[in-house]
Order: sequence, then C-alpha cells, then structure tokens
Amino acid sequence: MTRSTARLGALRRVAGIAALPVILAFVAAGCGQAATTIEYSIWGDPAELASQQAIVDAFHEANPSITVKVTVSDWDTYWDKLQTGLAGGAAPDVFAMDGPLFPDFQSRGVLLDLKSYVDKDKYDLTQLADQGVKDFTTADGGQYGLPRDLNVIVLYYNKAMFDEAGVAYPDDTWDWAKLVEAAHKLTLDKDGDGTTDQWGLYTETTDMENYWSSLVWQNGGDIIAPDGKSTLLGSEEAVGGLQFLQDLIWKEKVVPEPALFAETGDAFEQGQAAMEANGSWLVPTLEAAGIELGIAPLPQGPAGRATSVNPTGAVVYKDSKNPDAAWLFVKYLASPAAQEKLMALKASLPVSKEVLAGPYAASFDGAQVFADSLAYAHLKPSFLGYNEFTAILQEELDTNVFNEPKKTARDAIDTVLAELNALLAGQ
Amino acid sequence: MTVGPARARRRTGPLASEARWAWFFLAPTILGLVLLSAGPILATLAISLTSWDLLQAPRLVGLQNFVDLLGDDRFLHALRNTVFYTVTSVPLGLALALGLALALNRTIRGIAWIRTAYFLPVVTSTVAISLVWAWIYSPEQGILNQVLGLFGVPAQRWISDPFWAMPAIVVMAVWQGLGTNVIIFLAGLQAIPEEYYDAAQVDGAGRWGRFRHVTLPMLTPSIFFTGILSLIGSFQVFDQVYVLARPGRPTEATTTVVYFIYENGFRNFKMGYASAASWVLFMIVALLTALYFRSQSRWVHYG
Repeated sequence: MTRSTARLGALRRVAGIAALPVILAFVAAGCGQAATTIEYSIWGDPAELASQQAIVDAFHEANPSITVKVTVSDWDTYWDKLQTGLAGGAAPDVFAMDGPLFPDFQSRGVLLDLKSYVDKDKYDLTQLADQGVKDFTTADGGQYGLPRDLNVIVLYYNKAMFDEAGVAYPDDTWDWAKLVEAAHKLTLDKDGDGTTDQWGLYTETTDMENYWSSLVWQNGGDIIAPDGKSTLLGSEEAVGGLQFLQDLIWKEKVVPEPALFAETGDAFEQGQAAMEANGSWLVPTLEAAGIELGIAPLPQGPAGRATSVNPTGAVVYKDSKNPDAAWLFVKYLASPAAQEKLMALKASLPVSKEVLAGPYAASFDGAQVFADSLAYAHLKPSFLGYNEFTAILQEELDTNVFNEPKKTARDAIDTVLAELNALLAGQ
Repeated sequence: MTVGPARARRRTGPLASEARWAWFFLAPTILGLVLLSAGPILATLAISLTSWDLLQAPRLVGLQNFVDLLGDDRFLHALRNTVFYTVTSVPLGLALALGLALALNRTIRGIAWIRTAYFLPVVTSTVAISLVWAWIYSPEQGILNQVLGLFGVPAQRWISDPFWAMPAIVVMAVWQGLGTNVIIFLAGLQAIPEEYYDAAQVDGAGRWGRFRHVTLPMLTPSIFFTGILSLIGSFQVFDQVYVLARPGRPTEATTTVVYFIYENGFRNFKMGYASAASWVLFMIVALLTALYFRSQSRWVHYG
C-alpha cells in the first residue's frame, strides 16, 4: 500500500495535477487486468534460456495480462550488468540470484522482501526444498526470494571403464579409502610411455563447490561460522578435507593435476577419466558425450556422508514497478508446473518437493541419487564478502596446494587465515 | 579599394567554411568524448574519494582509498605485473613490427595477401585469440610443448607456472598487436622519398648505412606514434589475462591493474577503491606519456 501511494506521488509531480484522474485510472487498471510487462534476467546457456522461455510462455498462458521478457547473459556479464542496472535504478523486475551471493545483495537493500506476499497468499514454503528456502531467508524472518532450482554434487562414473578394469560400480557403501583403491585400479598408462592416459578420478579445484567443500564436511569440518563473521577452515577436520584432495592429485596421482585439463576441459567428458566428482549441471553434457554414465553418491568421509547443495533463486528488485506481477511470476517459477519443465533439462534439481519425490526421481537413471542426496547436503556457504573471500582463498589454494604442491593444506590455510578472518569480521 | 575586402573575403571565406567542415566531422568524436568519456572520467575522480559499493549511497572517505592502495599487496603485484608487461611487450612489439615492415616493404607477388595475414589477429577478438593460445600453451596436448619436445626441451606449464605465465601472455599479445604497428611502419616506409636513398647511394652508403641514416631517422615519427599507442595500450592490458589465466583466475603472477580494478569494482563491491586504482593508473600513464612527448625533440625527425 505505502509503496503504491509513494509511486503515485512521484507520478503526480511529474505529470501535473491535471493528469491525475487519468493516472489514477491507469494505476488502478495496472493492478487488475491491463497488460503488464516485467523483465526477468538470468545467466545461462542457450539450452537454459530455451527451458526458461518455455516456463515463461506457460506463465503467460496462465496469466495473459502479464508478459515476461527474458534477458540472458553469461555468468560474468550477468553480474556486471545487474550491478550497473541496480546502481542506475534500472534493474530487471525479477532476476536470478546465486545462493552464495545473496547476502551481498540483500544486505545492500536492493531486494524486495516477499514476506508480506507469502503471508497474504498463505503460501506454503514447506512445499519447497528446505535448503532452497533457507538460502533466501534472513535472520529477522524476511523472505527475499524463492528458490528456482538446486545443484548438488555427486560421483559420476564411466561404466565401460569399470567393466574393463573389473572394478565394482560405486555405491552408497563407498568411503574415501574405497575411492582411492578403485581410483588406483582405474588410473592406467595404457601405452606404457610413462604418462597416464586414463585417470581414476577427475574434478575441479578452483571452486569449493565442485568437490572440496564436500570433502571438508565429510571430514567433520566446516567453512564459515554460522554468523558469517569468521572462517572455520583452520580446524584439523577442515584442513584434512583439503589435504585429501591435494593427496589425490599429488600423492596418489589418481586425479590429474589441474593444469593438464585447464585448456581442454573435463577429462571425464572426454573419456580420459573413470570417475568425476562434480555437479548436477553436468548431466546433459555427459549424456551428450556418449559415455555409459553411472551416477552414485559422493563417497563418505571419516565423519560420514555429505555433499553440497547450491540453490539458484528468483528475487524481486526493490523498486520494481510491478511487484505484484513479479511475485506471481516468482511463485510460478517454483510451482510444480514450471518445475516439471525445468526438470526436463536435467541440468538441475527441481525445488518443489512434490516434483522431486515424484516425476523427477524417476525421470532418468540416477535422478534418485540426486533427490536422495538432499537429505545430507550442506548449503554452499552464503555470506557477506563471498567473492572477495573466495578470491583470496582460492588464489592461495590454487597456487600452492592444488596446481602445485608447494605447501600442505595446513600451511596454505595458515597463510591466509588472518586475512580471511579480518575480511569477514569487517563485513 | 575594392580589392581589399574582396581579398579578405577570399581569405576568410574558404578557410571559415573549411573550419566549419572540420568541426562538423570532428563533432561525433568530440561529443562522444565529452558525453561518454569526460563525464565518467571526472565522476571516477569523485567516486575515488568515497567508499561506494555501487548499491548504497557513497560515503566520503577522503584520500583513504589511495592510502590503502599503497599498502595493498595485491595492488602492488598488479602494478609490478603491468610494468613487466609494458617493458617487455612494447619494445619487443615495436622491434618485431619494424623488422616485419622492412621485410614486407617490397613488391613481390601476393604481398597484399601476406600483409593481410599479419593484420588478421588485430581484427580478431582477443577472447578467441586467447582461447587458441591457451591450446598452444596446453601442457600435454599443446603444440608448443610438442614442438619443444622434439628438441628435448622438457614440457613447461606455460600458464599455470607463475614464472612463465606473464611471459606467455606477453608473447601472445605481441603477436596479436603486430599487425597495427606493421601497417603504420609500412606507411612510414613508403613515404620516404626515393631521392634520399639515391643521394645516400651516391655518397657511398651501403645497405646498413642507408637504413641507419635514411630509413631509421625518416621513420622516427612512425616509431614515436606506435610507441605511444603501445605504451598506453599495454598499461590497460586486461582481456588477455582474463581469458588466459587458468585454471582459476589471475593470480599474484598474472593480475594486472585493470583486472584489479574490475575485480574490486564489480566483484568485491568496492567501486570507490577501484576508482582510486584507476586514477593511480591514469596518473602513471599520463606521466609516462608526458615524459615520452618531451623526449620527442631529441630523437624524432620530422621531414
């Protein structure tokens, strides 16, 4: 109510008193039937755009008075454009939000709190995956968006390579020791020239999400304190998780050093690795690569089972001229109808529990593994200063731990611990 | 008596209309510069005195950003890497371009095609070029290591090894930028009157003598011009580093000042800090450019 009266005041100043009756009629109509257009910005590739466009078209069919214009960018450009748009007061009405970056935007007051809409519509938040909802909830009870999809980390494996080596497929009994043992059997120098041509396991090291955050959790460690003001990476358990990954690369030599596939891309996709620890977004790519694909949970660590879940949300710009239409659309994105369309892409998990348990789990071989993994998945850390924190941390880890074993995980973490804590404390 | 005004009119007439035309043709550039560059440039000066996250109101902090920059290891690394890039890529680029221009300054069959080939990288997107070079530098499959391997040189990690990363970027950038300088040098070479060479020959100058005493002095305006463009351009190196730095992101060994500015402004929500860094960069480039211009009288020969 206060929002629309404020907007009306601004309009009146511009248009003058004479136009007031016309404007009043127009604004009243805008709330009801008249055509409304909202902009929805996402990052992604052409396949994702097509999937989102199909959802948008279905939304328009259900709500003919609202037209949604989708704009898409690649990841880096997306954030550049979003920030300049927000700074200039010309941001899209609804835009995709990466879970970890949410606090940096929410805390700066550019997102609309949807709590009043949730209450007014008696919208049941428990119909959505808990981690997904939580990522866009603030400590004071605000709900600044709804989750749109989820990504989790699993263990992909190449059935043909396992068959050839006579190794049993990974299952939920696997632990770190079993992973190392199998990876050794699958790391082969086929032509005997002294260099490995088939790797036991492939993963990416430049972001915590691909594997190392899960290893930290599986070892009983954690990354960020609950209040987001300090890092917990200094603990023995956390360092142990990082050390395990360094050992897989440089001691066991069953994971290729990062430089080897930096330019050529995913070794598993290219049929040069028997397993890959990585995200659900790879399913369409790996299926297209013609691999006999198997999907298993990540092997458990000394402290048990863990994986990472990272929700993408849809949030509303605080100064959107059509917050009602925006809310309708955000709600629709999380609805079973939209979620079933999203599911068809196989690139991420639906957030709707109904779709997760029903159609999704049976939608492809291995989907059940993804759906089950939510039970033990940790939210990808989401805190103020995320970008700067990860840049400092990853530079140290990449340079000295993963790309080259110049330092142990302990020494590397000790090098940056004070800087990281100072950064978090200052947010 | 009637001649005076007529002559005066003749003098101002064509000149005035010529000036009008000049302004007319300059207008798009000047307008663009004033509206799209001068405004934002002045704005960054104001922003550099604030703490601004782009989304909330800026807060005035005086010169604090500049003080912080001086104590920021990441900025100093970026500065060091940028200086390294400049002092290697500029002389190397100019020397190679000069050599190529001399080689291409002849009339043989297909010379136009050869010149075009050297210019192709200039008009190709840096991102595409960087991706191709990333393949060339790839440790196992890359052609560079494969060729060096034939001569028994052990494989290097050209991009991920901090020692080689910046030189690898320099080599790529020099290759990419050659075409521009070659074209300018070629134009310069072809503007040298043949009589000078004839005169030098009469005076008994050999090939080297003609190059040293005719070609080189006559080419100094071109060298001056390409030098200034390369100098300014090299301080702004960004996309090569942005695309080539892998795995991950540019590190201590490859971060450049413009990447530092980008990261702080658009990733770390520190637009004030980024603006301050861009002004430090601007001052450095302005100072070097001024010094370079002052050196002109000592080595550049016009006509």
